[in-house]
Amino acid sequence: MELMKKLILAIILTFSAAFAFAQVTFSPATFTSEDEVVITLDVTGTGMAGQNDVYIWMFSNDGVGGGKDASTNGQWGSSSESGKMTKIATNKFTFKFTGTTLFGQSPAELINFGFLGKSKDGTKQTQDFKPYKFDPLVFSPSAFRVFPAKMDATDMTTVNFHQDLTAEQNLQRMFDVKVNLTFFNEGGAVVATRTALVATKESNIRYSYSFIAERLITIPAGTKLGKFSYQFTGSIKDATGANVPTSGPVNEITYTVFN
Amino acid sequence: MKQIKYIMLALCILTVWGCQPEEFGPIGSEENILKGLQGTWSLTKVTQKDEDAATKGFPFKELDITNVYAYKDLSIALQGDASGNATNFVITPGNSPKISDFNTGTWAVDNVKAPKVITLKSGTTTSDLTLGSYAELKTGKFYLKKVKKANGKAIVSYTYQFTKK
Repeated sequence: MELMKKLILAIILTFSAAFAFAQVTFSPATFTSEDEVVITLDVTGTGMAGQNDVYIWMFSNDGVGGGKDASTNGQWGSSSESGKMTKIATNKFTFKFTGTTLFGQSPAELINFGFLGKSKDGTKQTQDFKPYKFDPLVFSPSAFRVFPAKMDATDMTTVNFHQDLTAEQNLQRMFDVKVNLTFFNEGGAVVATRTALVATKESNIRYSYSFIAERLITIPAGTKLGKFSYQFTGSIKDATGANVPTSGPVNEITYTVFN
Repeated sequence: MKQIKYIMLALCILTVWGCQPEEFGPIGSEENILKGLQGTWSLTKVTQKDEDAATKGFPFKELDITNVYAYKDLSIALQGDASGNATNFVITPGNSPKISDFNTGTWAVDNVKAPKVITLKSGTTTSDLTLGSYAELKTGKFYLKKVKKANGKAIVSYTYQFTKK
C-alpha cells in the first residue's frame, strides 16, 4: 500500500513537471539567432496569471558570459511598450523577435537566451524561463567548399577541394587535380562548360581554382546565369602503377541576387 | 548688499559664458584629404571578404585575389580643378576585371574635409565606394571598399589598395 502511494505521487510529480515545462513554446521549434521567432507563453500558475498586460524581459547568454539585455526591456520599474506581449487568449501571450536585432549581438556572439513575463511596473512577474539555445550558425568543414559562400557571376569564385576531409579513398589519393565547370542559365539550361582546368595546389591537402564566370565564359547577350556546378577530377595509380582517371561528386552552387 | 547681488549675478553670467564650447583647430596643419586623393593611382592589391562568414565567425573569411587576374593593370585618375575640387575620373582597366560598371565620369566625396564615401558618376548611374583609412595617403597609398548586399545585409566585399603612380 505504501509503495502504491509513492508510485502515484511520483506519477503526479512527473505530470506536474511536464505541465510546468509546457508553458513556453516556440515557432519555429528550432531557430538560429538570425531567424524570426514567435514565443508563446502560458502564464497559468505563475505570478502573472489572470493579467491582461504582460511585458517580456529578455536577456542573452545566461551563464556563459557576454550577456546583454534585450533592446525592448526598458527599465524594470517601467517596461518599454515595445516589450509588451500580444494577448491571444486568457493567460496566453506571444512575442516576436530576431535574436541578433533584439540583443544587438552577432550570431557568433549569441549562444542562448532567457526571459520572464512581468507587469509594466515590475511588481508582478513569472519565474525565469531559461536557457534556450540558438541553433549555432557553425561552420561545417567539408571536402568541397566554395569561397565566398554566396556570389553572383561577376564575383571572384574559388572552388576548393580539401583532400584530408574526404572519406573516399580514391579522392584521398587523387593527383593531377583538375576542375570541370558548367554554367547554367536561370531556366537551368547549360550555357557553357569548361573542363580540365588545372587546380592550384595550395598545400599538401588543398587544391583550388579561382575564376570570375563572366571572364571565364562568354555569356550570350540577354542571358543571366542562375547557377554553376563544379567537379574535381584527377588520376590515381592502379595495381600496375598505371594512371587511372577518377573524379569527385558534382556540386551545384546557385547564384545570389544582390540588390 | 545690492552690489554683492549684482556681483554674484555677473559672476554667474561669466561662468555660463565661460562654459560655451570652444572650437579647437587641428593639431598641426589641416590635411587636405580631397587634394591628396587627386592624381593617378595604380591598383596594387585586391582582397575579397566573405562578410557573412566574418559575421558568423567562420574560418575562411578573406582571400587575396590580386594575382588571379591582371588586377595590377588597372589604374584610376582622379582629377581636380585649380581649387582642388573633385572633377572627372578615368579608369584604365587594361586586362583587369572591372571594379566599376563605367570607366569615365565625375567623382565626388560625401565630406570634403573627412571623406568616407567616393561616388563615381556616369550620367545617371552612380557607384559608391567606401574610402579606407587616410593613414597611408601621405606615403602614397589609399584604399577603396566595394560592398555587395542582399536584402540590406553585406555578403561580399572587395578592398582595393591603390598606390600613387
